[in-house]
Amino acid sequence: MKRSELQNNLAMTIALISAAMLFVTLFMGYAVYRSSAEAWPPVGMAHVSLTLPFLSTIFIAVSSWFCFQVKNLVAINDLKRANRNLNLTMLMGVGFMISQSFLWLQLKESGIYVTSGIFASVMYGFTWIHAVHVIGGLLALVYLKIVLRPKTNELLQKTINVERFWHFLGIVWFAMFMGMFVF
Amino acid sequence: MSGGYNEIHPEPTTFWSKYIISFDHKVIAKQFMWYGIFFLGLGGMMALLIRWTLTYPGQPFPIIGNLLFPHSAGVVPPDSYAMLFTMHGTIMIFYAITPLLIGAFGNYCIPLMIGARDMAFPMLNMLSFWFAFLSGIVLVASLLLPLGAAAGGWTSYPTLSTMIGSPGAGQTLWCVAIFLFGVSSTMGAVNYVTTVITLRAPGMGYFDMPLTIWGLWLTAILNAIFVPVLGAGVILLTMDRVMGTTFFLAGASATSGSGDPVLFQHVFWIFGHPEVYILILPAWGIVSDLLSFFSRKPAFGAKSTALAMTAVTILSTLVYGHHMFTTQMSPLLTQSFMTLTMTISIPSAIFFANWLGTIWKGSIRFDSPMLFSLGVVFVFGLGGLTGLHLGTVSTDIYLHDTYFVVGHFHYTMAASVLLGGYAGLYFWFPKMFGRMMNETLAKIHFWGTMIPLNGIFFGMLMIGYGGMHRRIYNPFVYESLQRLIPINTLVTQSAILMGAFQIVFVINLIWSLYKGKKAPNNPWNVGTLEWTIPSPPVHHNYDVIPVVKCGPHELGNPNLKNGRDFQYQTEELVQGPA
Repeated sequence: MKRSELQNNLAMTIALISAAMLFVTLFMGYAVYRSSAEAWPPVGMAHVSLTLPFLSTIFIAVSSWFCFQVKNLVAINDLKRANRNLNLTMLMGVGFMISQSFLWLQLKESGIYVTSGIFASVMYGFTWIHAVHVIGGLLALVYLKIVLRPKTNELLQKTINVERFWHFLGIVWFAMFMGMFVF
Repeated sequence: MSGGYNEIHPEPTTFWSKYIISFDHKVIAKQFMWYGIFFLGLGGMMALLIRWTLTYPGQPFPIIGNLLFPHSAGVVPPDSYAMLFTMHGTIMIFYAITPLLIGAFGNYCIPLMIGARDMAFPMLNMLSFWFAFLSGIVLVASLLLPLGAAAGGWTSYPTLSTMIGSPGAGQTLWCVAIFLFGVSSTMGAVNYVTTVITLRAPGMGYFDMPLTIWGLWLTAILNAIFVPVLGAGVILLTMDRVMGTTFFLAGASATSGSGDPVLFQHVFWIFGHPEVYILILPAWGIVSDLLSFFSRKPAFGAKSTALAMTAVTILSTLVYGHHMFTTQMSPLLTQSFMTLTMTISIPSAIFFANWLGTIWKGSIRFDSPMLFSLGVVFVFGLGGLTGLHLGTVSTDIYLHDTYFVVGHFHYTMAASVLLGGYAGLYFWFPKMFGRMMNETLAKIHFWGTMIPLNGIFFGMLMIGYGGMHRRIYNPFVYESLQRLIPINTLVTQSAILMGAFQIVFVINLIWSLYKGKKAPNNPWNVGTLEWTIPSPPVHHNYDVIPVVKCGPHELGNPNLKNGRDFQYQTEELVQGPA
């Protein structure tokens, strides 16, 4: 492995460990809230319908797949198709955000407001924190779109870094989906 | 995230690119140094205001009191007092010690001591400083708010730190500032860890690295893992304050379904305990090297020192519960945390014994960096020993939240780190600025710091043992504390004395910067890589990347024949006749 590749992979790994620790802390808090609650969701609050979270999961999973293709295509230097796949990645990412927005609307319409106690705090707070990271991920994808040119230095390495962050967001969402919505 | 990968960068030509948004690790180190010194002064002034209030309650603070507190005729009011101890702690830990020890020495020493031309990611390094700068501005700005800055203690426990305890925007800005600082620290950590792993000069194995680098490297690893934990905590706290969530609100304040104030304490200390090692590890590393350099002897058991520091790093992640023995934790848990805490004594004792082994029978040179290093050995010894009382459940329940705790943590992470920082500054100043600092003034500064410092912190241990609680505004109103007034007065007068002697340091620093004697390449006669190049180093550090052939502490080898008592790391180890 070239030194520059090693440096990039190492740095990205450490950065992802840092970001993961933030979410691990949130999950730890969630475990405490959930295990100490008498009922979850609290009495008087309905279970959140799985439809929208499931849709979000599909969106982010498909976007991850397109992102994976972007890297493969950059690796064989097919930038035209890589660009197309990148557009689809971004589209699916935006789709995820729209789906999440509808989820928040749905929560609000079912009478669960941000201020409605710990259940609502977790539902809104954690998905917001994740969404902010997704916006960061989308900006990284925009950056990738800008540099997706034949003359860019270390294009593949940049693509891999962005790809890894994007997959990371997908994995975090999947953990949230399973932990907070399914079970 | 493209980087330098150890190539020679073109030298910046404009003022802006050379000094402001510089990518050069040496310039960024100096930026962090001035940043740290500024906040050290600010935090120090706050300490004096706190001490003055505790000893002379109701009396106006001399000279600047009327300027700061015009409405109370120069007397520190109670709410400002809470703000002062909160901001003193926050500033000293995050904005003085972290930038000085990690920002300045980390940036300066890591590339130079491992034989690299810069950090792995110079741009990330630049961003790291400017995030810290932005964070500093937010924090200082919060002092000017109508309701003042945060006042819930540096630990910002809910409910003190929720809207109920702190209605002003100060606490919110505190959270924002800490988050920004966390981003800066994480960026630095990514850079430091990567740099140490990938940019060591050819031939330099991990155990050929100076122990300074070991300390900084381990610190960076802890930073990368645990700073985001606090990040998550302050995000949730900010949401509680701004958006109406109830993560840390319980009981009547949470309308339906209860949050958990104690959870914040867990989150805080999961970060907070590694944080104290984040602060002390660089100082341990620096001291481990300097004791060897100025004893003209190889560091005793250097490998075991490095491994012991690594063991402390790992253990530091498992002991945070000892901060929370009084939070109705299950006795099973308190016992476990106590046992793990006691386990830290073992690696600590190992490197402490190694320090003593290093100076044993050395031909010690009492230059200022050595004096400060020996100071660290003394104060860290005291700080470590008093830690045993607090790590033990039965004694901690009595001593919890008293001045004994304040004395203990100041000995470990204020006194040790401050003295370690001064040691490093006096040691590397010639390399950083190409001039020597005045040795006489440095020695005056050492004794003027060391003696009052013990007056302050040992005094704190005594009044704490006597029962004085932390964070009280006026000890005179409690009958039980009346008898402690003489020691309290000693503490305050020592603090004023110590504060005054820091002026000697500032004068020495500024004077030496412009008028100091020109420094030779290697004023201290030691063999680590940074002393093989000119003082100050050229922009790209090394014209040719050095090849390392021996360890960093090859001093006093009787086989040396060239008139020197040390050899450079670039020289083949001199062997005796077979």
